[in-house]
Amino acid sequence: MSVSAVFVLDLKGKVLICRNYKGDVDMAEIDHFLPLLMTEEEEGVTCPIMMHGNVHFLWIKHTNLYLVATTNKNSNASLVYAFLYKLVEVFTEYFTELEEESIQDNFVVVYELLDELMDFGFPQTTDSKILQEYITQEGAKLEVAKTKVPTTVTNAVSWRSEGIKYKKNEVFIDVIESINLLVNANGSVMSSDIVGTVKLKTMLSGMPELRLGLNDRALFALTGRDKGKTVSMEDVKFHQCVRLSRFESDRTISFIPPDGESELMSYRINTHVKPLIWIESVIEKFSHSRVEIMVKAKGQFKKQSVANNVEVRVPVPSDADSPKFKTSTGHAKYVPEKNLAVWTIKSFPGGKEFLMRASFGLPSVENDEMEGKPPITVNFEIPYFTVSGIQVRYMKIIEKSGYQALPWVRYITQSGDYQLRSNF
Amino acid sequence: MPYLGGEETVRELRRALSNPHIQTDHLRYRNTIHRVIRLMSQGVDVSGLFSEMVKACATGDIVQKKLVYVFLCSYASVNPELSLLVINTLRKDCSDPNPMVRSLALRNMCNLRLPGLCEYVEQPLTAGLKDKAACVRRVAVLGWAKIHALLPNTEIDAAVVNELYGLLRDPDPVVMVNCLRALEEILEEEGGVAINKPIAHHLLNRLKECDVWGQSEVLSVLQRYRPRSEDELFDILSLLDPALLSHHVPIMAATLRLFLSLCSMLPAVCVSALERARGPLLAAAGSSSRELRYAALCHIQLLLRSEPGLMGEHYKRFYCGYAEPPYIKQSKIQVLVELVNDDNVAVVLDELKGYCTDVNTETSQAAINAIGSIGRSYDDRCLGILTGLLELKQEHITSAVLQTLRDLVWVSPQYGDAVCSALEKWEDQLQDTQGRGALLWLLGVYGDRLSGAPYILEDFIDGVRSEVSAEVKTELLTATLRVFLSRPAETQDMMGRLLQHCIEEELDMCVRDQALLYYRLLHCGIEDVRRVLQCGRRSDLSLGPLIGRPPEPISQWASIFNTLEPLMLGASSAGNSDPSTLTPYTLTSHSEPMTSDPHLMTPNLSSTLSPEEFERLWLQTEKGEFLEAYVMCPVPRCSPESLQVALQLVNIQTLAFTAPNKLPWKISTTPPNTLILAEVLQAGGDGVKKVKEELIEDQENEREESTNTHILITPC
Repeated sequence: MSVSAVFVLDLKGKVLICRNYKGDVDMAEIDHFLPLLMTEEEEGVTCPIMMHGNVHFLWIKHTNLYLVATTNKNSNASLVYAFLYKLVEVFTEYFTELEEESIQDNFVVVYELLDELMDFGFPQTTDSKILQEYITQEGAKLEVAKTKVPTTVTNAVSWRSEGIKYKKNEVFIDVIESINLLVNANGSVMSSDIVGTVKLKTMLSGMPELRLGLNDRALFALTGRDKGKTVSMEDVKFHQCVRLSRFESDRTISFIPPDGESELMSYRINTHVKPLIWIESVIEKFSHSRVEIMVKAKGQFKKQSVANNVEVRVPVPSDADSPKFKTSTGHAKYVPEKNLAVWTIKSFPGGKEFLMRASFGLPSVENDEMEGKPPITVNFEIPYFTVSGIQVRYMKIIEKSGYQALPWVRYITQSGDYQLRSNF
Repeated sequence: MPYLGGEETVRELRRALSNPHIQTDHLRYRNTIHRVIRLMSQGVDVSGLFSEMVKACATGDIVQKKLVYVFLCSYASVNPELSLLVINTLRKDCSDPNPMVRSLALRNMCNLRLPGLCEYVEQPLTAGLKDKAACVRRVAVLGWAKIHALLPNTEIDAAVVNELYGLLRDPDPVVMVNCLRALEEILEEEGGVAINKPIAHHLLNRLKECDVWGQSEVLSVLQRYRPRSEDELFDILSLLDPALLSHHVPIMAATLRLFLSLCSMLPAVCVSALERARGPLLAAAGSSSRELRYAALCHIQLLLRSEPGLMGEHYKRFYCGYAEPPYIKQSKIQVLVELVNDDNVAVVLDELKGYCTDVNTETSQAAINAIGSIGRSYDDRCLGILTGLLELKQEHITSAVLQTLRDLVWVSPQYGDAVCSALEKWEDQLQDTQGRGALLWLLGVYGDRLSGAPYILEDFIDGVRSEVSAEVKTELLTATLRVFLSRPAETQDMMGRLLQHCIEEELDMCVRDQALLYYRLLHCGIEDVRRVLQCGRRSDLSLGPLIGRPPEPISQWASIFNTLEPLMLGASSAGNSDPSTLTPYTLTSHSEPMTSDPHLMTPNLSSTLSPEEFERLWLQTEKGEFLEAYVMCPVPRCSPESLQVALQLVNIQTLAFTAPNKLPWKISTTPPNTLILAEVLQAGGDGVKKVKEELIEDQENEREESTNTHILITPC
């Protein structure tokens, strides 16, 4: 991979900050970026890669910014995108929100980061944990910036520095599963999968050695034990701190954790699950007069669990007006700018069934433009519950000073890309 | 806004920067520098402050230093003389006890990008290679690559190159990877860094220490290594095997590419590597970032060219989400077409049907085309869907359906009846040129079965004066003539009017010539007309390869795997059933040596070669020399007509299509009086490939025959 320059543009195509890494592409080429994008948008054929002369623009959009990399080589495109996303990740960790304002307010740090992240078009130090040790926002204030080389740059454990101390040693483990679901208009499930992540918030002193035990089916099959429910995970992805060789040989997840918050692992489970919240909808459209919508939501999970902040978003025609709602629970409102009727239920106990009716008026002069058929989407979260049944069986913490540390575990299931196609 | 009073602000800043009171007040000085940099980022020309800023870099404050360096690097090219002043400070910083300062100075010294300063930079760089801090060595190593880029004609000292080779064994993995990168750039002309057995094994052993970027780099460099023995090869493969399942997509892709290049002689191993990587590839195609998803989809399309069965059962992973951008939907649709088999055809068609009414025109057209191409191998359900779509009376959908139907019946004439019954009720008006062309073609071919055909044609002929597209007019001529053959009584009058208009009033030469041709043909008698016009009604069975492609060998695309090119291919073919929107693409100076891929040439649209010059060049080529040129033409799976149109767009005129196993352009058997010869010339410039082409009329046909020159057009 080799990137000639990296630009951060605002939505009008103005360069907010840029860095010329190689000097083999004219920096003025970026002026062609937005016009190119506009023509593509007009024709409806936008593409994350664009070309002007022999310059390629690879771009991503984040909030109100475009991040653009230019190159004139046949470099590895996915690596370039990965780098741009890395930029977003690092900037977000620094400024919590990456947007035009945060770039302008922090341009000093941005310059410093761009300098460290890449040299001559090649990514260098991209781990934000390490970067945060020697590029700090305080450095931009009066006190003379830290000038010592961080130990991590040469450390064996590059993601954790030595000499960390906490009064109370604790680890918080969050197991978060999100459900992606696609149901077609006649109610059959087209695809569903679970994407899970295990997040850590480590507040441990020294260099602790951690071992995480899950009810992993492959592990149980390996050891020949069979205690109750197990889960088989696919596409398991780990933080770099996990010793992959150990995982491959005996499925043990052992690691020295990074300090503070981090994502330890993610996995995907492809088994079909019963959709946790099932939606049945009848949308009747009487041309030139009105639309009648009836939506039934059913909680298909255990009675003792409760789904919070359930939001059912039902698409309505863009020219609808005068909404009327009737709900058996929660409240519904019309969001005209998104052409949605949103039905919110603060708490939705398992096994229950609720109903919403809505009616909208339609103008007598019909909108000629063709509209797509957007699906009904549902957002929810169910605490203290994992849909796959994955469990943390133990978390062993060993440190040479021998302190006692407490692991805390929290489970949550939430909606990912949860779509039910409607018939209207 | 500050940049309205640009000059005034610059003057004020200069005063501030040279004010001794401010200079001694650390905070105020730094704030002034911040303002300068902010203005610079906003695009104000603050290069006038260069000399003031040079002074500001002599400071102990490392953040201030960084900012000043950013400033200096941006404006050094405007102020080469003043930059000389900076060198002193930079060189002093290079011996600073703090390694951060040393690396910073070294990096920026090279980033000034002034060839004149290189002599001052070389000494600190040499020292930097031996520095005890890894972060300095990292910078120094890349520094040499920068010097090489600045002075491409001067050779880097052999001692330095040796030292760089030595540093491949540096304990710091980033230094090692940077060394590889630097050597690749410096030794580009010699084909990059030399990978012998010890280096290859060393790199393989240290692979695990590197980060994602480093691993991808090492894996791509290793492609050039050729193991000595089969045992060694398999050792390497089994070492790399786990990486095929890596969930870092870049590593998986780089490993897969390495597998494909190492095992180019062992197709079975390649296939099993592809199968191993299937899971991660599918995961990448469902990645949360749309760009990475798109990249993965483009690569999957590449893989499917050779291994159509690879993803068969996972077709559901390629269903489109409602909110996905059109480019992803279109590549998913293209993948879905490849994945259709007996078991899933009904489900996939149902899904595709849903996409036909997508808000995005391109996407809906792509879906309609997809249904059409499935229709070539699967039942009439496709036809039912397509004709059903006509009832929606949406202009762009109708147009796309007509084009698809045309392509479909051309390949599968058995659908003729169904198409006729769908067209029987035709009474719409179409604006779209492509769609009208397709409609006319269908009318011409099925004129005898469509009762309404002459009346639709009449509408067209009445409106011929306001018709702008030459393409539609030629199509109209052909269609009218064809209908005339089957229904002379109804058509004769309007055909006369049409011919008269086209011959006497038409300004477009092609249309006029076509009309004249038909006029004269009619003079020859009805039998001749029939022979000429109706032979093209049925498809040539030998055209099979154009329609159902056999699997390509993996080597065809292995060299472009995991680069930018598949995305460009994807971009130019995504949803573009319409060849007029094809964009020829250029990729100059590959990061991989170009020689590995001689198939990639780009036709230059504006040919600048004069006929005289061409003839001279032509005569220079030796007799009997066999020229063969592959033009990468991104028109996969399309009808011969569209292929022809696409070729015309890149200035290649196709005279005829020949069956695959026959000699193209059977010149020697029937020597015509005028022979049109085509040649694709490749003029070698400085790494820039230019292809010129010219079509000339050559009178000396006898002599040229023996040279047996042709353009071989291989759709790929």
